[in-house]
Amino acid sequence: MRPDSVTQAGPSRSRSARLRDDAIRWITRRHSDDGEQARMGRDRIYILPTRAGYTLLGIILVMLLGSINYSNNMAFLLTFLLVGIGHNAMWYTHRNLLGLQVSTLPVPPVFAGQPIVLPVRLTETAGRAREALTLRIGHRATAPFAVPDRGTQTARLELAGLARGVYRLPRQRLDTRYPLGILEAWSWLTLNPEIVVYPAPVDPGQTTGGSGEEDAPSRDRREGEAPDQIRPYRPGDPPGRIVWKAFARSGKLHVREASSGQGDRLWLEWEAMPASDTETRLSMLCHQVLAAHAEGRAFGLRLPDQTLDPAQGPAHRDHCLQALARFRTDVIELVS
Amino acid sequence: MSTAAPTTQTTQQTDLRGLDLALIALPVAALPHVWHQPPWITALVVLAIATRAWLLATGRAAPSLAVMSVLAVIAGGLTFAQFGTVFGQEAGTALLLVMIAFKLLETRNRRDIVIALFLGYFVVVTTYFFDQSILIAAYSLVATALLTAALIQVHAGRFIPRPQLARQAGAMLLHALPFMLILFFVFPRIEGPLWGDPQREQSARTGLSGELNPGDIANLLQDESTALRVEFDDEVPALRAQYWRALVMTDFDGRRWSADADRRVIQPPTTGNDGRRIRYTATLEPTRARYLPVLDYPSTLPADAELRANHQVLRDRRITSRIQYSAEADLVTPPGAGEAALDPQERGRALHLPPSSAPRARAEVALWRATHGDDDRAIIQEALRRFGAEPYRYTLQPPRLEDDTTDQFLFETQAGYCEHYASAFAVLMRAAGIPTRVVTGYQGGAWQTRGEYLRLRNADAHAWNEVWLDGEGWIRVDPTAAIAPERIEQGLPGLASDTGEPIPGFLRRGEGLSWLQRARFGLEDWGDFVRFRWESWVLAFDPERQRELFARLGLDPRDWRSILIALGVGFGSLALIVVSWIWLRRPRQRRSPADRLLQRLSRRIARHDRRLARAPHEPVDAWARRVGQARPDLAEPLTAFAGVYNRQRFAPLTPEQRADELGRLRTLLQQVPRGKPPAAQPGPARA
Repeated sequence: MRPDSVTQAGPSRSRSARLRDDAIRWITRRHSDDGEQARMGRDRIYILPTRAGYTLLGIILVMLLGSINYSNNMAFLLTFLLVGIGHNAMWYTHRNLLGLQVSTLPVPPVFAGQPIVLPVRLTETAGRAREALTLRIGHRATAPFAVPDRGTQTARLELAGLARGVYRLPRQRLDTRYPLGILEAWSWLTLNPEIVVYPAPVDPGQTTGGSGEEDAPSRDRREGEAPDQIRPYRPGDPPGRIVWKAFARSGKLHVREASSGQGDRLWLEWEAMPASDTETRLSMLCHQVLAAHAEGRAFGLRLPDQTLDPAQGPAHRDHCLQALARFRTDVIELVS
Repeated sequence: MSTAAPTTQTTQQTDLRGLDLALIALPVAALPHVWHQPPWITALVVLAIATRAWLLATGRAAPSLAVMSVLAVIAGGLTFAQFGTVFGQEAGTALLLVMIAFKLLETRNRRDIVIALFLGYFVVVTTYFFDQSILIAAYSLVATALLTAALIQVHAGRFIPRPQLARQAGAMLLHALPFMLILFFVFPRIEGPLWGDPQREQSARTGLSGELNPGDIANLLQDESTALRVEFDDEVPALRAQYWRALVMTDFDGRRWSADADRRVIQPPTTGNDGRRIRYTATLEPTRARYLPVLDYPSTLPADAELRANHQVLRDRRITSRIQYSAEADLVTPPGAGEAALDPQERGRALHLPPSSAPRARAEVALWRATHGDDDRAIIQEALRRFGAEPYRYTLQPPRLEDDTTDQFLFETQAGYCEHYASAFAVLMRAAGIPTRVVTGYQGGAWQTRGEYLRLRNADAHAWNEVWLDGEGWIRVDPTAAIAPERIEQGLPGLASDTGEPIPGFLRRGEGLSWLQRARFGLEDWGDFVRFRWESWVLAFDPERQRELFARLGLDPRDWRSILIALGVGFGSLALIVVSWIWLRRPRQRRSPADRLLQRLSRRIARHDRRLARAPHEPVDAWARRVGQARPDLAEPLTAFAGVYNRQRFAPLTPEQRADELGRLRTLLQQVPRGKPPAAQPGPARA
């Protein structure tokens, strides 16, 4: 059920894997937990040549040998000019990260399986534009982005969908190869915004093995209550009550109005869900929460270890969805 | 300010940003090769690049790998067919150019562009196989900047405006210059090629030939390229006294003189009798031979050269690149001076004539002998007189000589230049039993007022004779001086006044020039000056010069510790400069508007009395009191100013209040009269 990216760090068998784990642990310890923001200081920027860098080095060496062989002073000059450029690239690349302020913005919750977008804000204060930065988690990376001189830029890193739960991100990597691509400077970040993944909604009515359509939610409907009425849309009506089907047919907006105002109270019950396993029940409850909210009704949620009293509105819906997401689970550390 | 959000990348590999710049930068880098490569290479490269540009502009994909492989094999084959090899300077460069063109053609991702650009740097370096002029140096800086700009654009991840890109690439080059200079001087230079024989590959250079066949050096005399440049340490000898000796020729086969293969090394003579020596430093263009032209007569020589018994100076290896050497000359003491007789074997060689050669010349000389008896000097004078008097002409375009060159020249054509005269003179002398040899080298040249150096062109090549007189040694005789004294007095240009002789235009530099010609020659002298400096300061730097440079610092480039010290000193001072530059450019606190007003007030008061200016450390109210005591008329505005100044400085104020206070300060400043210059002031009261 869980995507591959959520694997627990298994026991490392090979020597190199152990070494790698040690290195990662050391790095993680060095920059333990940045919280919500971090500054790219000199102590956390690493820099190494890239493959292109080694290629250029090879070319420079051949040029040097040629210069010596032909005792050609102009060839010496150009070779050493390239050495200078290569050397200074180190400085340029390092400076492209140095002093950047990185902070996370709240991660909007998603439903299970939907891609998660991690927004990270970069703030430039040193007065020089930054080019071609990439934010990565594992194999996921943003397109290269720039940060304007004394400005900010929000990078959005899209991550694979996850199962229901609450997650903490693995370390992130902010890197750059600007300007020549011969060196890569990078920094590890451990920004840890909480990532909440709601259950994927599943309509209990469509599952087989359920005990009947209208039985599922226990409706506390009073006798003689008329079915919902449809009336034309008035400005201010909650968008959730718009009857989209009618709109598609007629092109006019209508809203569904509960016939008796706030009168009906709906209890969404764990026990009443027509499924036996936890995740399916949560998914069904999720669907019911959304449906009830869309209808604009007040509803309560009854879980085995938690009860949320009936209320209505987006805040209440989110509250309920949060409760479903956190149901009997600890924060899961993601491993890249 | 938050700009558009970048989305997750999908196909970074197909990002061809920067390819357009690469398609400009690489042809620019390759352009100088057009003159050195077969036209089909140029055509192929242009075609490949134009095709890629068209594909890029129309958004089409690069040709498939199969097509490219076929093309690459064909190109390799063509290169091999053209040069018979794919290695070496010309073939290697051709292959490199073709490969880059194809790499660009097949470019399908960023890596391909980067590789092509890296190879572009290599293309720039290969330019120097063919040309090392300062113009090419400037041009390759531009090419390098373009390649670097393309690399930056490739890695920028967004379009960078061109001016910004140019600034950035320029800055990268500029910042690399100190590294370049330090490494250039400090990197240990080693002698000679690591492999192969690079000289063999280099295209033929002009220089003095090891043989002299009257009529041969005619094309050399049309060659206006520089052969040798000389700077004199102090005294500059007269032009006619400057004979630059290169090769000595004793063996003659009736037509041709060939340079001596004399292996006997002798010690340079110690100080001449009168001790007068000319010290100079010469910069010699590569000749691919070993001779060093030295000023007659050589006395002190460079360490890597030796003096042969015939007074020919040879370097210990061939001169394959431009070199500099310092030497000394003794103008007056000829070789063998004071020796009673010539070595018999050498005497035999210096008298040898092929038995049947020059019968008419021999008959003529026999008459002279009959007239003058044993007087060798008289014989010499007779010969010179003959050249001076008879209808002999000096011309750079003499008729061809066929049968017996000497007789034909002496009695029929009677027209020629230094070679003809030197050769004929030597034959006459030998016929008379006077040991004689031919010396070739340079004579004349043009004194460059700008830069103060003598410039000898290949056209200044000259040939003259040396005759042996017992007790006096090898005495120089220049028969050309008899026929064309102005050639010797003023160098070749001196001949311009002669008949209608078609002398190469560049030689006609005397009187009667139009301003345009004068401007042209002036410009040319400037050009040669710049070239000379470039060549003597940059191109002539070699292991020898490096040793000298290191020795001046008490170091030795063959010792790695010395190299480390030099590198440390070089980069240490560079770091120091960079750090102080950063420190100097650190943001400073700017003077507040109130402080500027205070400064203006102080200046205004100082015009009344200089001593009333505010000292930098003086509190404002103390200063106001001091001025008030000295000049009661100014006391009122000053006291008010001090009050307002301190209030705005120390009291918490809103921006509006602060602006008000500043306005008040300005008004108070205006109330202080502009003082007249102190001299006009009728003695103000002094504090």
